[in-house]
Amino acid sequence: MRLTLAASAFAVSAAAPAGAFAVDYLSIDQAAKLMFPDAETFDTRDVTLDASQLQQLDAQGVKARSAHWSVRVAKRGANTLGFVVFDEVIGKVELISYAVGIATDGSVKQIEILSYRESHGFEVRLPAWRRQFVGKGTGSAIKVGEDIANISGATLSCTHVTDGVRRIVAVVAAARRGGALA
Amino acid sequence: MHAARPSPRKTLLALSLAFIASAASAQTATETELARKLDQLAAELAAVKAQLAQIQKERAAQPAAAPAVAAAPAAPAATSSAAPSQPATVLTSYGEINYNRPTRASENAQADVRRFVLGYQHRFDAKTKVVTELEVEHAVSSADDPGEVEVEQAYVEHQFTPTWAARAGLFLIPAGLLNENHEPTSFYGVERNFVETAIIPSTWREGGVQIVGAFDNGLTVQGGITTSFDLTKWDATSTEGRESPLGSIHQEMALAKARDLAVFGAVNWRGVPGLLLGGSLFTGNATHGQATTQSRVTLWDLHARWTPGRWDLSSVYSRGTISNTAALNATLVGNPTLIPKSFDGWYVQGAYKAWSHEDYALSPFVRWEQFNTARSFDDLGPGLTPEAARTERVVTVGANFQVTPQIVVKADYQRFRENKDLNRVNLGLGWSF
Repeated sequence: MRLTLAASAFAVSAAAPAGAFAVDYLSIDQAAKLMFPDAETFDTRDVTLDASQLQQLDAQGVKARSAHWSVRVAKRGANTLGFVVFDEVIGKVELISYAVGIATDGSVKQIEILSYRESHGFEVRLPAWRRQFVGKGTGSAIKVGEDIANISGATLSCTHVTDGVRRIVAVVAAARRGGALA
Repeated sequence: MHAARPSPRKTLLALSLAFIASAASAQTATETELARKLDQLAAELAAVKAQLAQIQKERAAQPAAAPAVAAAPAAPAATSSAAPSQPATVLTSYGEINYNRPTRASENAQADVRRFVLGYQHRFDAKTKVVTELEVEHAVSSADDPGEVEVEQAYVEHQFTPTWAARAGLFLIPAGLLNENHEPTSFYGVERNFVETAIIPSTWREGGVQIVGAFDNGLTVQGGITTSFDLTKWDATSTEGRESPLGSIHQEMALAKARDLAVFGAVNWRGVPGLLLGGSLFTGNATHGQATTQSRVTLWDLHARWTPGRWDLSSVYSRGTISNTAALNATLVGNPTLIPKSFDGWYVQGAYKAWSHEDYALSPFVRWEQFNTARSFDDLGPGLTPEAARTERVVTVGANFQVTPQIVVKADYQRFRENKDLNRVNLGLGWSF
C-alpha cells in the first residue's frame, strides 16, 4: 500500500512506455525488435479476456489484474514468430517497465527491462537474472524462490517482475486459446 | 304449384358467402388487435432503445473496467495493460513491534515499538529524486521517555547515465548485508543480528556524497566522501562503547563534527542469479583536531549471500580498528570502558522456505554468530592495559512468517554462550511498504 500525494499524469502508450520518471534503457519498439529481429511487422492486438478466461487464470493462481491487454504479434510475411507484451509493475516504491517476448510454443523467449527507477535493486536488469525466464511456460512455476533465483537486496523488484512475467505468460496463452491472437 | 326451393348449389354458395363474411369480419377484428399490440411493442422497443442508449452513454463516460467477475481481482484499467500509474511523491514506512522475554530473568521482559519510520520519496524529474526517512524509536520521545526521533535518510539522487548515479545528503553506508536493507521484512529474526549491530552500527548513516555505478556484468560499485565518527564523545563511564564501539561514537549528522572526513567504497557482484559477493571499506580520522592525537577509525567487511531455490544462506565478517588509542585511553584509565584497538565478528545463517501458499510463507532459520566488541587494546603498560573482552557466541533459532510480502510475524529463541542471562525468547511484528 502506498499513499499517492500527488498523482502524476502517467498514461502509458505504446509509443512512450516509460513515461516521465525513468532511466530508460530501451523503448518498446527497440525491445520488440531485439526479441524478434526477423520480424517484419508488429501488429498490435487489443485482447479482452472474458469472464470465464479470467476465472481460469484465477484458478491457476494468476492475478490477471485486468481483462484488457495489448499484445504485439511479431510477423514475417504471414508467419507468426511470437508475441510481445509490455507491462509495468511496482518494484519497491517505483515502477519497473519491462517487456516479455513469448515464442509460438507459449514459452518465454526473452525479457527486457525498459526502465528502472529504484535506488536499489536495479540488478533485475542483469542479463544473467533475466535469462532464468527463457523457456518457461504455463507449466512452469515462475516464482522467486522456486525456479527463479532471488537477487539479494532486490527481493521486491524480483518478486514483482517474476509475478508479472507469470501473468503475461498465462494471459497470452489464454488469449491464444480463445482465438484472439490467431 | 309448389314454392321455389333453393338449389343445393345456391345453398352452398350462400353458406360459403356467409362463412366468408363471418370470417372476414373476425379477421378484421384480429388485425386491429394485432396492430394495437404492434404499436404497443414498438413503443416499448423505443423506450428500451432510449434506455440502452442512455446506459451506453453513461458507460462511455466512465473509464474502462474489467468485467464483473467475482473471482477476478478488481483493478484499474486506465492503460492498455492496466499497468499501475506512478505518482511523483510516494509515502513509505516500516515498523517493528517487539517482545523480548529473558528466560532467566522474566522480570526484565519488555514490549516495545522498536521503530516506527515514515518516509517519502519525491521525483523532481526523470533523473532526480529525494529520499527521506524519519524514525521514532521506542514509541515516545520526550525528556522523561527513552524514545528518540531521528532522520535516518535524507538524500538527493541524480542519475547521470543508466550506469552512473550520484547521491548527496544523509545516506546509509553500504556495509554488510543489512545496513542498506534494514526493514524487518528483509532480515530473519526479531532483532537485527549482532554483527551488524555491535560491529557495524545499525542503520549507520553519514552525510556526504557518493557515486554509484551499476554494470551489466553484475558489478555494483559505490564510493564517496562523508562525515566520520567522533571519538571525542567516547563515554568511558558508560557501557555503550562495550555494546557497540562505533554505535557509541557515530554522529548521524546531528551537528556532526566535520573537520575530519572519511572515505568509503563498496563492491558487490551479483553476476550469478541468486548469488551476492561483496565487501566494503570505510576509513577516516575521528578526533577532529580536538584531542592530543589524531586517531583513525577503519571498518571493513566481507559478505556473501546465496539463495538457491528455497534456501537463503548468508554470511558476514566485519572488523574494525581504531588507531592511536593509547594516547586517548591514557586520560580514561580507571573507567570501565576504554577505547578498543580492534573489534570484529562474523555470522553464518541458513533459512529455508518450508511452506508457502499464495502470499503466506513460513521460513525457519538458524544463525550462528560470534563477535567481540573489544578484541584488543593498545598497550598502556602493566596493570593499566584492559583485558580483551570475551568473544560472545549466540545461536538464534526461529522462523519468519510472511503474511504478505510487506508484513512479517517473527518468533525466535536466542542462546548466549558467555552471558547466559541474556538468553531470551523474542516475538515480533514488522511491516514495510
